[in-house]
Amino acid sequence: MRFRSFDHLLSHQAREIPGLPALIYGRDRQICTYGDLYREVLKRADQWRGSGKTCLGVLCDGSFDCVCTIFAANLAGLQVVLLDENVPDEQLPGLIVYTDIDALWGDEELARELAEHLARNGGLPPMQGGLGSGRILFFTSGTTEAAKAVVLTDGSLCASAFNGGAKLPLTREDRLLCLLPLGHVFGFVCGLLWGLSCGAAVALGRGMRHYLEDFAHFSPTAVSLVPTLLGFLLQKNALNPELKLVLVGAGDCPPALLAAAAGRGLRISFGYGLTETSSGVAISVQGDPFAMEICPDDTITLAEDGEILIQAPTCMMQGYYKKPADTGAVLRDGILHTGDLGTFDAEGRLHITGRKKEILVLPDGTKLFLPEYEAAIAKALGTPELALILRSGRPVLVLSGPARDKAEILKSLTPVTAQRPRGQQITDIVFLNEPLPRTATGKLRRWALQNRLEEQP
Amino acid sequence: MITREEILNRTIEVIYECAPELEGKELKEDTVINTDAAIDSMGFTLVICRLEANFDVQIPNRQWQKLQTLGDVVDAIEKRVNK
Repeated sequence: MRFRSFDHLLSHQAREIPGLPALIYGRDRQICTYGDLYREVLKRADQWRGSGKTCLGVLCDGSFDCVCTIFAANLAGLQVVLLDENVPDEQLPGLIVYTDIDALWGDEELARELAEHLARNGGLPPMQGGLGSGRILFFTSGTTEAAKAVVLTDGSLCASAFNGGAKLPLTREDRLLCLLPLGHVFGFVCGLLWGLSCGAAVALGRGMRHYLEDFAHFSPTAVSLVPTLLGFLLQKNALNPELKLVLVGAGDCPPALLAAAAGRGLRISFGYGLTETSSGVAISVQGDPFAMEICPDDTITLAEDGEILIQAPTCMMQGYYKKPADTGAVLRDGILHTGDLGTFDAEGRLHITGRKKEILVLPDGTKLFLPEYEAAIAKALGTPELALILRSGRPVLVLSGPARDKAEILKSLTPVTAQRPRGQQITDIVFLNEPLPRTATGKLRRWALQNRLEEQP
Repeated sequence: MITREEILNRTIEVIYECAPELEGKELKEDTVINTDAAIDSMGFTLVICRLEANFDVQIPNRQWQKLQTLGDVVDAIEKRVNK
């Protein structure tokens, strides 16, 4: 069923299937039924309504409290900003100021500091849009410099869950394991809303310390994963026998990984989407996992150069928060210019073939913005003839010229790489005894380079 | 009182358990875990979880990103284990 809002979704399920489990959580596998969930959310929404707050930042830990708080604040009309619970302390204040957060959930000490700061400074100026906008903000994953908040709504997120459910329905007997961070749109839509909108039970994962045990603990029948996590779980043999369906998304996935999962009898679907489209716009449902059918509400066309263009009236972002120029650069006349390259097969299914923009999407779903990283490396090494590519899902530095001492070069890059997230660390160097491939205007032909190096052993 | 050397040795043991392919590779305090030891983000998660259980400490999630070298990991444990 298509839901217009979180309130519509929760109230409908509470009315239709009040006694069925909505959320299962914790060490004792506590159950919250759809009826109880809606009552709890309404109760908390009343508290938020009386709080005088307009924008709640949630450090998403994926707990029952966290889920109820997100729904409640939305129902109360607050703007809700979903933050990764692991966001470094030094980045958090900047994100709070940028998104007009005037209340914080998930870290009592920081919340207190914020309240004191606001009290000292006479509160915040009126927020864009004001109360009741239904806005949910997600950060595009990436570096601090490039971090942008994407403005979605509970309506767009519900529409995206409907899209996914239409292609890949769950039943009320299914149990969806919610393992990915709720601060990422793929985790929120495909780990939580997909299950709730289908009336399935959603088991709330207990965080990364329990990745290996949560499958045996909750016995899910379906799960959404990023490629890195799928590989890890397969390697550690952590998947439970009841698991039937794995939806993989948010990053490039090595075919061997999907084949390994399929070899275990799992149904594997691969999804393509962006934070800007409230998650998936195309999903593979049968056969080739990389051949994706377009979701019902979406229209996908290709530009002359193969760039994927998306029209998704029900799921499209309102824009990047307070960044109209950035919004205008990618969203023109309701069409999102994704920067991804694709083709259609004879059946009209979408295949992703590369990326036009200067970004690497890592297998853990985060993005690596290349220009700033490569510029810093070039400065450290004193040469511009270099490029970053992905090999086996990890960033590899390509240097033009004869082979040199890799360990020494990596050591000299430590000041550049040390502050970057683990997945962005350079793990190897490849020497290319020829100039890097470039266009007539000198622009690096990154995907040509990637393909050339993939042919090498 | 657990000494820093004991923490370092047990940490190296845990890394070898979690990534047996590293067995025989010399790991020192200045070893950068991602690059020199080639442990990916999920492997690192496993190492930290095992270390937390081993030393009965909890390193806040938001600190994990900052642990670059083996010495950083030892520091984080040492700070908590002898409290």
